[in-house]
Amino acid sequence: MRKILLGTTAVVSAAFGAAVITPAAAQDAPTVRIGGSIQAYYGYINANGQSSNPGGTGDFGRVANSTLDAATGRGGYTAVTSLATNNTIPGFAAGGTNGIPTSAQATPAAGSAGNFARSGKNDFLNLPGISVIVSGKAAQGFTYGGQVDLEFNALEGNLSGGNRSSVQRSTVVAGEAYVYVAHQRFGQIRMGDEDGVMGGLMNSGFITNFGTGGVYGVWEQFQIRQSGNRTQTGAGQLGDNTKVIYMSPQFHGFDFGVSYAPNGGGFGNGGCPSDSATSGCDRAYAFRGATAWAVAPAGAMGAMARRNEYQVAARYRGSFSGVGVAATVGYIGAGTAYDLSNAGAQVRTMNGLNVWQAGAQATYMGFTLGAVYYQGDYNFFWGNTVRGDRQAQTLNVGASYTNGPITVGANMVTGVYEGGARSDFNAAEGRLVRQANPTAYGDRHNLASQRRWGMSVGANYRLAPGLDLIAEYVYHSVRENGRDLDAARAGVQSRGFANVFIMGSRLAF
Amino acid sequence: MQQPMRHPILAALLITTALTACSGGRQVSNEEYGTDNARERILRGGGVNPTNAGLVVFGVDRSQQNEQGGPGGVSVNAYLWRATLETLSFMPLASADPAGGVIITDWYSPPTAESERFKAQAYVLGRQLRSDGVRVQVFRQIYRGGQWVDQPASSATNSEMEDRVLARARELRSQTSASR
Repeated sequence: MRKILLGTTAVVSAAFGAAVITPAAAQDAPTVRIGGSIQAYYGYINANGQSSNPGGTGDFGRVANSTLDAATGRGGYTAVTSLATNNTIPGFAAGGTNGIPTSAQATPAAGSAGNFARSGKNDFLNLPGISVIVSGKAAQGFTYGGQVDLEFNALEGNLSGGNRSSVQRSTVVAGEAYVYVAHQRFGQIRMGDEDGVMGGLMNSGFITNFGTGGVYGVWEQFQIRQSGNRTQTGAGQLGDNTKVIYMSPQFHGFDFGVSYAPNGGGFGNGGCPSDSATSGCDRAYAFRGATAWAVAPAGAMGAMARRNEYQVAARYRGSFSGVGVAATVGYIGAGTAYDLSNAGAQVRTMNGLNVWQAGAQATYMGFTLGAVYYQGDYNFFWGNTVRGDRQAQTLNVGASYTNGPITVGANMVTGVYEGGARSDFNAAEGRLVRQANPTAYGDRHNLASQRRWGMSVGANYRLAPGLDLIAEYVYHSVRENGRDLDAARAGVQSRGFANVFIMGSRLAF
Repeated sequence: MQQPMRHPILAALLITTALTACSGGRQVSNEEYGTDNARERILRGGGVNPTNAGLVVFGVDRSQQNEQGGPGGVSVNAYLWRATLETLSFMPLASADPAGGVIITDWYSPPTAESERFKAQAYVLGRQLRSDGVRVQVFRQIYRGGQWVDQPASSATNSEMEDRVLARARELRSQTSASR
């Protein structure tokens, strides 16, 4: 065995240069560390969508039914007669539309107690996290390690997930978990639930090193989700779906990477308890109701519709006359799950992800400025778009300044997205049907584009290494002409906005 | 819209394989990649390397050793210390203090110039391997009128010696990295 191993290393050595392989050094046991973070904040939230007042019956908006209207040649709508309340568990409706609240499932009906609520403007937030970090050195110049991150804030109250019917917000959720092997000459391979190379590892231009991260910080955790008013297309939000990643060493300032994930699921074989494939099963590549996953359904979590996702990124880092610069170009491509017609035909109703990203940042004497732009086929939650939907464009700009223990910064994000899809899938006919344009009750389907705009300012004071005091203000808004973003209130609310002021401290070790 | 790239992973891997055959690659450490982990972001903001933070529950904490460039009772950067000793090894050594980082040589007269002699004092500053982490001062005397008289050395001599020390320190460090 030993001879074969040495023979193999000799071949590898000959291919890549004899200088790489040196006599095997003694291997040591890996170092295992426990680390973590605790964040505690007070938030003042002044936003719309914090109260519900549905008005009378028939005031919950409509959902598309794809029944062709002979006169217009477009799809029709069915009124929703009651509304899922804030603690309803999305059920398993027949036909595999798992996770999508239906009009029949929600109780109570319009006008009764559960549908009326007023939410306050002040709250506290607690975000702990624990990490187990492993690092070690193997023979022949390899280093290796891994990490498991445990989070206690990933869920939003009572939510269905996987096989459970209800989980609390404080339930432990594994965030990222991965293994890596690295070598000075060959680069690093990483495998597990982790961001991809364009989805967080090698980006430039996202300036979030102030406050809690500005528009990509913790303000969303104070936000009631109803109108979907959140920044959801940040770098690290592309997904931790299980993937394999390769990142190269750095040559003259350049390094690059590539990653691949078979689907949008994390931690493997999620949501597939039987062969009745539903949207919750990450390995299902065709299922009834797939088209619904092109628009994020409020309240339900499930596997994303992307399949065979790959990311590539190239990064440059250098310095010129004391100015540090970094620039990244990245691309993500993916296929998509198919929908199924009544006759069992697989229909490709959605586009795969197809996004180009370019970003750059410069640092000089504690001052950092950066911007990043991305465009392609994606929706406001990095989801797939339905075929025929517009491409999305997002621009981030940010700046920060650090002087000793104080850091101040600001960032903003602006983007235009499809929002509500323009078409829906008619299972009887096995094809996409374009919805009528536009409707008095904007629905999930809407021809208008959605605009999101957010900005923030924030400051940190570093009391000690790992301990910060923070103050931050975030404004974020979402607008989509004619679409009701808040079905819990009477009429059409096509605009959501939020002002969030955050104060608190955070500790990491 | 059709995806514009075909077999992008294959192309990327081929480029990667070709480039790894080139020399000059520098290993990118984990703290040079982006993260959305709250702990890592908070620690990086405070100038702490997340790989070396936390409570060690198993194994050996190698972070201190890495900072110093290896085990041993040297409290200044070990690479600079070794490199200075090696660079000045052609002169007789009068004293060396690894705790303070000071090396003082004795007077040395090169065989080609018997009427002049040199002495060097080198200071290794701090634990980090930095280009301003070593300072060398060369003293020169010429023999005139029956006694040694101080003369200024060429102004480039000091920086030339420092450059040699830094070059040797870099070599030592890359050798150590390759054998890890």
